[in-house]
Amino acid sequence: MSMPKGHKSQFGYATVSSEEGCRGYREIAEIMTDDGDKMNHSTARNVFLRAMQKIASSVCNSYEHGEADKMAQDPRFQSAIHEIVASI
Amino acid sequence: MSDLSDFFAEVGKHNLLTKEQEVQLSQRIEKGDRLARDQMISSNLRLAISIAKKYQYTGCSLEDLIQESSLGLIKAVDRFDWRKGFKFSTYACWWIKQSVRKHVASNTSSIKLPTHARGLLWKMRVMADEYEEEFGVAPTNEELADLLGVKASTLAAIVKSARWTVSLDAKVGKGNEGRSVSETVPDGAESADTLIDRQKLVYIVRNALGSLTPREDKVIRLRFGLSEDSTDHKKYPITSEEIQTLEDRKS
Repeated sequence: MSMPKGHKSQFGYATVSSEEGCRGYREIAEIMTDDGDKMNHSTARNVFLRAMQKIASSVCNSYEHGEADKMAQDPRFQSAIHEIVASI
Repeated sequence: MSDLSDFFAEVGKHNLLTKEQEVQLSQRIEKGDRLARDQMISSNLRLAISIAKKYQYTGCSLEDLIQESSLGLIKAVDRFDWRKGFKFSTYACWWIKQSVRKHVASNTSSIKLPTHARGLLWKMRVMADEYEEEFGVAPTNEELADLLGVKASTLAAIVKSARWTVSLDAKVGKGNEGRSVSETVPDGAESADTLIDRQKLVYIVRNALGSLTPREDKVIRLRFGLSEDSTDHKKYPITSEEIQTLEDRKS
């Protein structure tokens, strides 16, 4: 029996490392660990996605859209939030 | 009946010439016979009209095209050499086409192209048609440039210069009523709807950011490369290259 392949996002994966100042999950995990909050790259990703889900839930509630989880994982949503947060 | 119809009727009255008649008239023209010259021109006006009609959808009026083709015909009559043994129409059609094409090229666009560039464009169109007919696909710019023996950048520049120009004051619909072209061109600014939506979204995101734990907030900032204080390298460590970039920006 083959191993489960996990979730594959319809629109690919969000990669922000090409943009200035943005960091990958491993780098985030290292910085957070150095600051006393021990975590590995998977935890960093989970924490990030949980934060995204909170933002997505707020957006979904306002626009009567029902799929906050999927929206949070969508790289297009993450990219849009990146743009908005940077402009605030 | 319009003037043009009168003209066509008048032209139709002249019979076409046989090869022998053409030679006789040409010999008389050489001796300075004005009547023979007029007859040669009148008898071949049908040829000039038929060539002019092929260019009537290029944006020029048919009257102007016929006038230009007639000038080409006159030039052909003056230069025809009957000793070479060709029919007059074989020789004249090139002078007529040259005259009409020159008129079309200089009157259909506000951008004036040099003669060699117009010739190259013409060759390019003919070659593109032939290529597509033979291979079933349109040739690329590079292929055309290679076939024509010119640089691809030169060809691209000529094609760009030969584009149609449109007046911003021209009306979009038929007639002189309706919106002008300038009213239909997007101004590039965001619409009021988009701006309001964006402001609403910013408000929502701002509130949502307030509900994040300090840990989530920090991870998001690190992920997106955001920091409240760009000089606080301890809290949000950055590489020495990034510090250099920030310092460069300040200076």
